Amino acid sequence: MLNRYPESRLAELANCSTDNDEVISSLCDDFDPNRKEFYFDRDPDAFKCIIDVYYFDEVHIKNGICPICFIKEMEFWKIDQCVLDECCKSYLSEKEEELTEISNKVKVILEDLEVERCITRSQRCQRFLWRLMEKPESSLPARVIAIASFLSILISAVVMCVGTIPEVQVTDAEGKLVEHPTLEAIETACMMWFTTEYLLRLASSPNKLHFALSLMNVIDFMAIIPFYVVLSLTYLGTTSMMELANVQQAVQALRIMRIARIFKLARHSSGLQTLTYALKRSLKELGLLLMYMSVGIFVFSALAYTMEQSHPETLFRSIPQSFWWAIITMTTVGYGDIYPKTTLGKCNAAVSFLCGVIAIALPIHPIINNFVVFYNKQKVLETTAKHQVELMELKSGRDMRRKSRN
Amino acid sequence: MEKSLAELNKAGSRSTSSLPPEPVDIIRSKTCFRRVRLNVGGLPHEVLWRTLDRLPRTRLGKLRDCNNHETLMEVCDDYNLEENEYFFDRHPGAFTSILNFYRTGKLHMMEEMCALSFSQELDYWGIDEIYLESCCQARYHQKKEQMNEELKREADNLKDREGEEFDNTCCAEKRKKLWDLLEKPSSSVAAKILAIISILFIVLSTIALSLNTLPELQGTDEFGQSTDNPQLAHVEAVCIAWFTMEYLLRFLSSPNKWKFFKGPLNVIDLLAILPYYITIFLTESNKSVLQFQNVRRVVQIFRIMRILRILKLARHSTGLQSLGFTLRRSYNELGLLILFLAMGIMIFSSLVFFAEKDEEDTKFKSIPASFWWATITMTTVGYGDIYPKTLLGKIVGGLCCIAGVLVIALPIPIIVNNFSEFYKEQKRQEKALKRREALERAKRNGSIVSMNLKEAFARSAELMDVVIEKSERPHDNHLSPSRWKWTPKRAASETSSNHSFNAHELGSPSKACATSPQRLNVQKLEEMYNQMAKTQSQPNLNSKDRASRVIKHRDEIELGAIQDRGPPVLGTREGVGDMKSLSSIDSYISCATDFQENTRFPHSPAMDLSLQESKRLSHCPVTALSQHGSAKTGQQTTRELEPMLTPMSVTKPSCSENARKFFFSGNSSKSLIPKVGCRSDGDSGRSPLSDSSVLSDHSLLSPEVSIYTTASSRTPPKSPESTTLAPSVFTFHDSSINKYIDADTDDDEHLRDISDASPSDRLLAGSSPKHSININYQRGANHLEAAQKMLGQNCLFPLEGIRGLAHENHISHEMTHRPKVERGRQNTLDKGL
Repeated sequence: MLNRYPESRLAELANCSTDNDEVISSLCDDFDPNRKEFYFDRDPDAFKCIIDVYYFDEVHIKNGICPICFIKEMEFWKIDQCVLDECCKSYLSEKEEELTEISNKVKVILEDLEVERCITRSQRCQRFLWRLMEKPESSLPARVIAIASFLSILISAVVMCVGTIPEVQVTDAEGKLVEHPTLEAIETACMMWFTTEYLLRLASSPNKLHFALSLMNVIDFMAIIPFYVVLSLTYLGTTSMMELANVQQAVQALRIMRIARIFKLARHSSGLQTLTYALKRSLKELGLLLMYMSVGIFVFSALAYTMEQSHPETLFRSIPQSFWWAIITMTTVGYGDIYPKTTLGKCNAAVSFLCGVIAIALPIHPIINNFVVFYNKQKVLETTAKHQVELMELKSGRDMRRKSRN
Repeated sequence: MEKSLAELNKAGSRSTSSLPPEPVDIIRSKTCFRRVRLNVGGLPHEVLWRTLDRLPRTRLGKLRDCNNHETLMEVCDDYNLEENEYFFDRHPGAFTSILNFYRTGKLHMMEEMCALSFSQELDYWGIDEIYLESCCQARYHQKKEQMNEELKREADNLKDREGEEFDNTCCAEKRKKLWDLLEKPSSSVAAKILAIISILFIVLSTIALSLNTLPELQGTDEFGQSTDNPQLAHVEAVCIAWFTMEYLLRFLSSPNKWKFFKGPLNVIDLLAILPYYITIFLTESNKSVLQFQNVRRVVQIFRIMRILRILKLARHSTGLQSLGFTLRRSYNELGLLILFLAMGIMIFSSLVFFAEKDEEDTKFKSIPASFWWATITMTTVGYGDIYPKTLLGKIVGGLCCIAGVLVIALPIPIIVNNFSEFYKEQKRQEKALKRREALERAKRNGSIVSMNLKEAFARSAELMDVVIEKSERPHDNHLSPSRWKWTPKRAASETSSNHSFNAHELGSPSKACATSPQRLNVQKLEEMYNQMAKTQSQPNLNSKDRASRVIKHRDEIELGAIQDRGPPVLGTREGVGDMKSLSSIDSYISCATDFQENTRFPHSPAMDLSLQESKRLSHCPVTALSQHGSAKTGQQTTRELEPMLTPMSVTKPSCSENARKFFFSGNSSKSLIPKVGCRSDGDSGRSPLSDSSVLSDHSLLSPEVSIYTTASSRTPPKSPESTTLAPSVFTFHDSSINKYIDADTDDDEHLRDISDASPSDRLLAGSSPKHSININYQRGANHLEAAQKMLGQNCLFPLEGIRGLAHENHISHEMTHRPKVERGRQNTLDKGL
């Protein structure tokens, strides 16, 4: 029976059960030749599960045993991990994922901690700058900088909005409305701040390419670049190297890009980061949501169009036009610019509304779930990582003590 | 139960009858076995000694290093060298994971284990929780924090409830009544009616407020502007008058004025009343036309503030309160929701602005103007006053709808979770409060007490054999007298020099024997009740309640005693009843060691003297003998005093109990006035000693202190008691009980825990009454054997425990007198410390 898995510890023990004491004692912890008893100093609960492999060829983790711990036991008994059944494997992988996350977090914290390890002075300077810009909790100046950049984002966003109000705008020489000069000055100041911030970050980052490609910094870049493009374009326009009308159109288009700076807020809010993470994790569900919606829109707009044909003053003039109606109805917004007038059309509208509610509610649930899980995990991770670091410190302290004692 | 008893027997037999093994034996057994059997809570584990050596500073590591009996008993609860087995009376489930820690170096936690109890186990085994592996750590800390939070909240609640203590400055009783009437609708019918009337007034005033704005009901004043309807103004005035009266009464009756003023509900009340008065003040003071317009505007603002009175409903609805609490607790998530919405609005409004601004006659004139559209779209309200017309705008609009649905839906489950948790908690607390009240009422009526007695009786019947058997062993010849617990103690102390006097005092020996089982039962029940009540006594229970309950109980016992005994033993009965009742009160009220000792041996001078100064103990036998004679008369006087004492104790609640105790002891030893004086001297003299007694004094006044008193002072008297019979196995249990009680403030839950819960708990419940019996047997026997010596021993050990090293020389002196029982006792004394 034990020989079914010749690699395993028990099988080896069975094979060498001739009176070779050394081999036996290397395999088990204690041996009583009188009673023919082998003693293993291991967890009995886990062994009960592991012994199953000889009977059923598969191992199930008993409820309550930590899977990581169980894997260690399996290694001791020299049982391959692949005999672990699928149902328990998923549980295990979940735990392992969590562990890697924690270890990553710990690594980040440890990186923060070991500051003055850098050799050259420039490196130390770079590291200092990096912490100043990226780790708001590390020191007071870093926090001040974080708050300042947060405020500048808000100010620039407000300025952008206020600048579009006709009453605030002033007319320029050609009788066109342009932004108020003070607002423009504020805008420029904010842009200067963003630029310096970005450049400092870039300069201090240990890995330039990695930095440039990370999402947050791409957003930063997107927020800055339109300003300079507009500047250069207007310069080109005034020096009549390009046609003025084209320049103005391009400038208008680029103004939309300014919105990107709102996303810069994500850097300062863990909630927003969680949102992006949750959305990233649940792309499938988002696709599902969009698919449900588009199917519903197609079906109900077509239905509404055909049903409303009988009415002489119908608002549904074509199927693409009634798409809009379908969206507004299914999301329960209901502006009332287009609405059905025939009885059949009204019935159809009611059904489409119901379907819309269901179509939205169903895929949203997993997304929300992802969000909540991640949100809670974020909180837990923080404490765990902290404890882990503490443990490491404790262990290193003990090692030091031991060394000194030796 | 059987098993535990068997173990108990074994343990008892070893340390009382047989001598502890020599260090040599222990070392030999450790060297000749490579493995060791660890029996934890009945579950045997076999492990290599080598494995235990890996963590030398933990409890199991220490076990390896221990080479003599005393230190070994300190580390484990019991051991057997022949079988190479060490017994620990702990939860076996947690131990598996802890043992695995030794084996693998990784500490994992069983999934189904409660984090709190696991942390306790870790404490016991001397392992730091920081070693917990990261995969289990998350769960552990989460749970622990949650529990801590809950405990803190419970403690706050307790404090709140205690904060309602009324100082007796001026008409406290009336104020308390008023406060109950106004603040606790569930306290009486009148209060409930008052609450309903209050709700009706709130609803009425709100209706009047809204009706007031109907154009048909408004009149016009001389300026042609609409004014209030006169009838509705009257309604308004009446409502405001009611609110004002309510608020003022509440304020007057509140125990803590500043706290009342700060309370959120009361702030709402104030805000609901004030606008009316400000309006009146403004209109009356500014009659001149010049300022009239301004005043009108201010008055309008204050009229709007009247709407706040709808929030007054929160006082009468748990749901509204928990909503408020949830919002306060989850402001983080609310901030997140608002942030999401704000970002979405910003983005979509600017997008739609750029999409729509070139359209003819567009309503999207600027980004701030399109904020409105974005808000209405994202919340899927959709008024339709602004809507996009271009294709690009419509696409943006569609995206905006979906994004809005998503963004709003995301943080809401977290808030909902908070809300439901809090709501559940609130409901649970309400229920627990009701249950507790019902329990108290039942106890006051006596129904629960009798039930408890019955239960205890059933249990005692089970235990009786074992106990008798046990007590027989060391004190065979004194079995029958030792059965009357309190009586013989007195009798013994009276007649320690003369045994036959005992019989004379209590009637003929045969008579006494005939009544003894009956009396035993009653007394045992009573004692058990005391014990049980001690374990059940929740910290927040006022000692007043306790005292009143004791009185009830005492009456009942006395009644029972009269019914039980026949007329022939009438002379005995009174004395017994008296003593019994007194002792029950004493042991009940004073959980503190010193009190217990003092009052249990009210006229044993050895005791008192030893309490005072150990130096004087050399004089002890002499004084003891001289006073024993007089103590007899003391008892007789008590018997006479008995009827007088009873009404007094009934009428005077808590504090008088304490005084009466001294009063009684003074009476009982009428001729011992110097002794009493000595005792008071001792009380004042031994300041570190009398700590616990002082504490228990406090406990009568402030229930908060009594929590600690019961916990801290209960351990000392038990440790010597458990020594004599079941050494050390239960010492730990006692402290765990205390801890348990400390942690658990909910009476009902505690009860339930004891009744179902884990086997070890059941063991606890079973063991505590057993203890008490053991003590009393032991005491009685001790008295008969050698009253003074044993008395000195009995009281000295806890004393020593408190005093510490100061009187070590004295102990050594004493030891020469009683070498026999000493070793086991001292052992556990250490442990008890």
